Amino acid sequence: MDAEQQKDIWIAEEERDGVRLSWNVFPLNRLESSRLVVPIGVLYTPLKEREVPQPPVQYEPVTCKMPCRAVLNPYCQVDARAKLWICPFCLQRNQLPPHYKDIGPNAWPLELSPGYSTIEYKLARPATAPPIFLFVVDICQDDDALKALKDSLIMSLSLLPQHALVGLITYGTMTHVHELGYTECAKSYVFRGNKDYQAKQVQEMLGLLTPGMRPQQPMVPGRPQQHLPPSSRFLLPVQQCEFQLTNVLEQLQRDPWPVASDKRPLRCTGVALSVAIGLLETSFPNTGARVMLFSGGPGTEGPGMVVAPELREPIRSHHDIERDNIKYYKKAVKFYDTLAKRSAHNGHVVDIFAGCLDQVGLLEMKSLPNSTGGHMILTDSFTSSMFRQSFVKIFDKDGDDNLLMGFNASLEVLTTKELKVTGLIGHAVSLNKKSVSVGETEVGIGNTCSWKMCGITPSSSFATYFETAAQAGPAQPQQGPQKGLIQFLTYYQHSSGQYHLRVTTIGRDMSGPSGDPSIAHSFDQETAAVLMGRIAVFKAEVDDGPDVLRWVDRMLIRLCSRFADYRKDDPTSFRLDKNFKLYPQFMFHLRRSQFLQVFNNSPDETAFYRHVLNTEDVSNSLVMIQPTLDSYTFDEPPRPVLLDSTSIQPNTILLLDTFFHILIFHGETIAEWKKVGYQDQEGYENFKELLELPKEDAKELIADRFPLPRFIICDAGGSQARFLLSKLNPSTTHTTGAYGGVSQNAQTIFTDDVSLQTFMEALMKLAVTGTN
Amino acid sequence: AAPGYDPGMAAVTQQFGNMAMGGAPAQPGMMAPQPQGMQTAHTLNQLIPVDLMQTPFDPREIDAPPPPIVLPANASLTPNPNSNCPPQYMRSTLNAVPTTHHLLKKSKLPFALIIQPYTSLRDEEDPVPLVSDTVISRCRRCRSYINPFATFLEHGHRWRCNMCNLTNDVPQAFDWDQNAQKPVDRWQRPELNYSVVEFIAPQEYMVRPPQPLVYLFLIDVSLASIQCGLLATAARTILESLDRIPNADERTKVAFICVDSSLHYFAVPRDSTEPNMLVVSDLEEPFLPTPGDLLLSLKECREGIENLLGKLDNMFEHSKNTASCMGSALQSGHKLISSIGGKIIVLTASLPNIGVGKLENREDKKLLGTNKEVSLLQTGNSFYKSFAVECSKNQVSVDMFLFSSGYQDVASLSNLPRYTGGQTYFYPGWNASRTEDAIKFAKEFSDHLSAEIALEAVMRVRATSGLRMQTFYGNFFNRSSDLCAFPAFPRDQGYVVEVAIDETLGKQFVCMQTAVLHTTCNGERRIRVMTLALPTTSNLSDVYASADQIAITTYFSHKAVERTLSSGLDSAREALQSKLIELLSTFKKELTVAHMGAASPLSFAANLRGLPLLFLALMKHVGLRKTRIVPSDLRSAALALLSTLPAPILMQYIYPRMYSLHDMPEDCGIPDPTTGEIKLPDPVNLTGERVAPFGLYLIDDMQTQFLWIGSQAVPQLIQDVFGEPSLDMLRMGKITMPEIVDSEMNLKVRNIIQKSRDYKTKKVGSIISPHLYVVRQDGDPSLRLWAQTMWVEDRTDQAPNIQMFLAGLREKVGSA
Ligand SMILES: [Zn+2]
Ligand SMILES: [Zn+2]
Repeated sequence: MDAEQQKDIWIAEEERDGVRLSWNVFPLNRLESSRLVVPIGVLYTPLKEREVPQPPVQYEPVTCKMPCRAVLNPYCQVDARAKLWICPFCLQRNQLPPHYKDIGPNAWPLELSPGYSTIEYKLARPATAPPIFLFVVDICQDDDALKALKDSLIMSLSLLPQHALVGLITYGTMTHVHELGYTECAKSYVFRGNKDYQAKQVQEMLGLLTPGMRPQQPMVPGRPQQHLPPSSRFLLPVQQCEFQLTNVLEQLQRDPWPVASDKRPLRCTGVALSVAIGLLETSFPNTGARVMLFSGGPGTEGPGMVVAPELREPIRSHHDIERDNIKYYKKAVKFYDTLAKRSAHNGHVVDIFAGCLDQVGLLEMKSLPNSTGGHMILTDSFTSSMFRQSFVKIFDKDGDDNLLMGFNASLEVLTTKELKVTGLIGHAVSLNKKSVSVGETEVGIGNTCSWKMCGITPSSSFATYFETAAQAGPAQPQQGPQKGLIQFLTYYQHSSGQYHLRVTTIGRDMSGPSGDPSIAHSFDQETAAVLMGRIAVFKAEVDDGPDVLRWVDRMLIRLCSRFADYRKDDPTSFRLDKNFKLYPQFMFHLRRSQFLQVFNNSPDETAFYRHVLNTEDVSNSLVMIQPTLDSYTFDEPPRPVLLDSTSIQPNTILLLDTFFHILIFHGETIAEWKKVGYQDQEGYENFKELLELPKEDAKELIADRFPLPRFIICDAGGSQARFLLSKLNPSTTHTTGAYGGVSQNAQTIFTDDVSLQTFMEALMKLAVTGTN
Repeated sequence: AAPGYDPGMAAVTQQFGNMAMGGAPAQPGMMAPQPQGMQTAHTLNQLIPVDLMQTPFDPREIDAPPPPIVLPANASLTPNPNSNCPPQYMRSTLNAVPTTHHLLKKSKLPFALIIQPYTSLRDEEDPVPLVSDTVISRCRRCRSYINPFATFLEHGHRWRCNMCNLTNDVPQAFDWDQNAQKPVDRWQRPELNYSVVEFIAPQEYMVRPPQPLVYLFLIDVSLASIQCGLLATAARTILESLDRIPNADERTKVAFICVDSSLHYFAVPRDSTEPNMLVVSDLEEPFLPTPGDLLLSLKECREGIENLLGKLDNMFEHSKNTASCMGSALQSGHKLISSIGGKIIVLTASLPNIGVGKLENREDKKLLGTNKEVSLLQTGNSFYKSFAVECSKNQVSVDMFLFSSGYQDVASLSNLPRYTGGQTYFYPGWNASRTEDAIKFAKEFSDHLSAEIALEAVMRVRATSGLRMQTFYGNFFNRSSDLCAFPAFPRDQGYVVEVAIDETLGKQFVCMQTAVLHTTCNGERRIRVMTLALPTTSNLSDVYASADQIAITTYFSHKAVERTLSSGLDSAREALQSKLIELLSTFKKELTVAHMGAASPLSFAANLRGLPLLFLALMKHVGLRKTRIVPSDLRSAALALLSTLPAPILMQYIYPRMYSLHDMPEDCGIPDPTTGEIKLPDPVNLTGERVAPFGLYLIDDMQTQFLWIGSQAVPQLIQDVFGEPSLDMLRMGKITMPEIVDSEMNLKVRNIIQKSRDYKTKKVGSIISPHLYVVRQDGDPSLRLWAQTMWVEDRTDQAPNIQMFLAGLREKVGSA
């Protein structure tokens, strides 16, 4: 089977099970496993939507005995006559439930059918409350931005399920919790912006602990007095409070506290979030809820402030953080980390929507969305279409009109004895569950086989890492090739109000004895690049940048030493198989990417980019690591070109997709023609078409993208072109000069970065020396 | 000479020099003689000794004017009868001032001024001459204002200060109008003719532009307030009184904070007419939830204010909150208005039990009537003193309207009004479901809101060299030795200043001048100036003959309250009794002819004849009497009144009026054909001996009125007065007087009750609208006993009747 066919199979498996693996054959023992360099990993998208939707089954899953609890799946041996099944994970025998008495070769239940390696159960257990949406709105904004935000929020009410609970908190100098259930007049509870309120204080001050503060329901004869929780004064079903909430939103004014000309407005983001989380945690522990923060600027007041109100004091940069000379950074991080822990513990999501040209403190607050599976959306303003459209997309619905979001989820991983799970990287927290499947080493969030993700969407993808167990021992005599199995159990609150369980069970062959070439053939370089990318970013969050780069280099060289074809100490003999060939290039771009080279970006941008990388599946992540570039010119269909400065030609239009940016670049000649206006003249229709074509394609890319990317159209020589240049391989820098094979017309990039060619030369040299 | 000056004027004034001030003294029972024929300038009032044992006190004497102030000829600049201060504004305990400290000490009499700068709630009811050209001539040295007792020198170019003798220039504007470029007549100037005038102050008298009137309402919305109907009644009353709140300059602002365990602020955004409730539950440090829109312009936000008040009751109807953080509310309210100043009106039915200044239920029945009772009358939390000082500094005044059905710690809460020029109003057991309660509060509160209070006021009293203002009594903050600060100056309170004689007084008369610098509620800076001139004497008998028993009782009422709060009730009562013995002994020793000794009469000056009974009444007053059954809140409220009421009301509060109604003369209870005024019957002595078992009486201390019905009252009387067939059908207790068509008796009784509440004739301002109780001699004992406590001349468990009291005094004086 050649590499292309291999890839097709993997993609089909991804379509069915939402999984992509770095190695599709598992090594036999721990030594082999460690020699793979790139760990065994699965990038799993638990709620992946299939092209042909597969509705959940309406019955309870059959599970193995405690403590295994594995779910019956196509890899189980079933003795239909004896009504037994053998769990492949713990090898225990289990009785089939009585209502399975009639199964047999002609009547297998779905979960035993081969096409159902992934199956979703709709459980009988309903959620304790409908989904909750608590808007936390920054009112220190100019009128236009506030107006746009208000419009978006009001519009979103029509997108929410009518039974969903909504609430509103606004903040500026102070935090206001709006009592939407109060009808006599607009009413809000006010909290100081500069005080670190304890959870209990928040609850006391909102009257959540005093029964006397409960809203009174008029007695309806014949109906028992409804006992509503005290929080129902603040969180009400959309259908009940839409009018009141719309009113309050419409009346929202910019923060009335005066702001001196040399000051930033006082913004108590920290208090607002702490009050929001405090409100939810007493009333709705372990229930699906989203705190949606709409931040128009940095916190400048109270706990969690990231910059002083004085404008002369600039907001921190990566350099400041590196030099460790910012007053607020560590305190703020600690404050938000604590909030994130509380929120994650209670199953509540925190989303952050930034609408600000400057930073808002995403870096400090990042643990909130990162730990809770919240969204992080960074835009210039709430007036931007980037915000508006991204925000709307959150409320996308499935065919049954249910929101495409799951709440309060947990993901558990079970393995057959050959495999152990070493950790997870993605937006989740550990549930600290020990089991026989937990490995000895730790990658990402390890030492557990179960994680919690408060918010989960069909695109949420989690990198899980595995190792081969230390003592595999001799293989058990078995029919056919031995398989290592992994079962993913995703338990979550579906937005329809029921709990669902999605079960994905995958099996991969175990390799033969040492030196089995099937392992190398099973290498999925794209997935490997993404899984390594997540590890690199995870390391970068704690380690110094240069250390991480050295680690990336070392791992690449080791992989090449191990799997390339070469004669020792002869770089010219270096060859890589097709399924490894692109991997060094991915690593080259990963090294240059904004994920690891942070100094060209603000700390907020870094937090944002890394957040998105940890959310997406293989193909999207790959675009982030190595952007795609397409070239458009006359009389030719558009074609992908090298992400290289040589691709810049005067008579072509380039379409760059970095996932975060989509950029159309007009070559020098094209730009001149456009300036003259040929596209509007008769006889130049083809030019007009050429100009339109990349725009059409860009539109298509944007349509599915979340968050909405920035869209840039620029001309050669224009200032915006730097976005393109920064992504291109600098094969023609001001230091290289022109040499054979490179067009004289190619763009010269002023950079000290090494080019891909130089990088590859070095790699080959190091790989073949075998010193690694 | 300055234009308009008439050198002949001095001659004219001379003719009026002998005119005694103070109105006609010829009253029944009043023994002060009128001088016969022409008298010399130096003849003061004559001392008339009487035997107290033989000449019982006549209640009518209380309303008699004080002993005449006999000034030498030419004392004042003009013969204007208003040139000396009428007693309703200022009266002295001594209308003849001892020339030396020694003589004063020897007399044992107090020397004090009773001051009441306002005699009505609104200016239109008692206008005072206004000097509106902002020309204010004051002595360069002692800063006294020119007044009718100054003298002009050097052809009227200069004037001599009647306080310190310095010669000052007369302002040109007295005789020449700069703007109109024409001469004016200085004798038209009110300050030369009237002892009580008001000046419009120029810029120099302002630290900052005149502040607008600000009313901040702190309204209890806890369960207690909702259940007794306070919230609903208060909101409705404010709503209905919006047009009565002074707002001539259209700058008046109001604000509202509702209080339970949280603070509920109300903002009306500029472009809105709908209120916005902002709840602050963080009581640790008060803060304002929004920088604006909380102080609402009464004119511009009228609709929003009306909307708010209209639904305030509904807003809290479901609340079950039993906490009150009123202390925190006060602190927050202070923060809200401190940059402007203004009036905080507290309306609460709860004990502040959480937050800043929280209080505990200190009431301990075991302590009542013991010498430890005083601890209950003292402040329970120092916040109420320190915060009061803070308020005074920022021109914030506090009024307390208290409604609790349980213990409310009036003692602590009343501190805020005491030091900020406010007042404590106590409505024990109030419930809006009783019409009488609702109406009483609504009327009083509405009148309170309508009063034309002054703002940012300071009061200073200056006097002729040799005199010094020593101690000040009343509700204000004594900022420096002689300066009293009033964030708001009420119109229904009196003040007492004790005067010391530091040097021998060489002049024939001395002057004392009270100046109240203030901002009117309409934004004008003004000074109200009152000048009182009194003759001097080196003769002890003159001093006694001109002593004013009403002023003296007023002075000792304040002293007794002070003594109570510092040393306890026993000490206060003992001090009163000792003072009487001292005075009687002095009188006996110094002013009685020896041969009278044998008969051993209890001799005293006729003009002071009421003093023993008034003192006895004071000792038996609910604020001071020895008893185990008066709750400390009631006691504290009474003490607050004893130390603030203006003299005419205070006298009746101490010695209530009792009228016999069943046998009143024909002309009583109907309008006088010439004046149109309702004529009241003569008051009778407060003793059960004067009460017939078949009679009907009105007993009235101006806080409470009782209609006392004898057990043998004939059905016809009941029918005529109440429209009920018999006594048994009559509802006892708190009532509203029914209107019985075609019953003359009913009309008369109603007229008399109406007239008894008429403050105008008493020359005071007051909002008090007393409750009327019907009491049967053989009815509900607690009600009967309460009414009987008004009979101060009778014996009680703990105190003697007046005869025994006098006998006791005679015994002590005899042995002294
Ligand atoms: Zn099992
Ligand atoms: Zn002087």
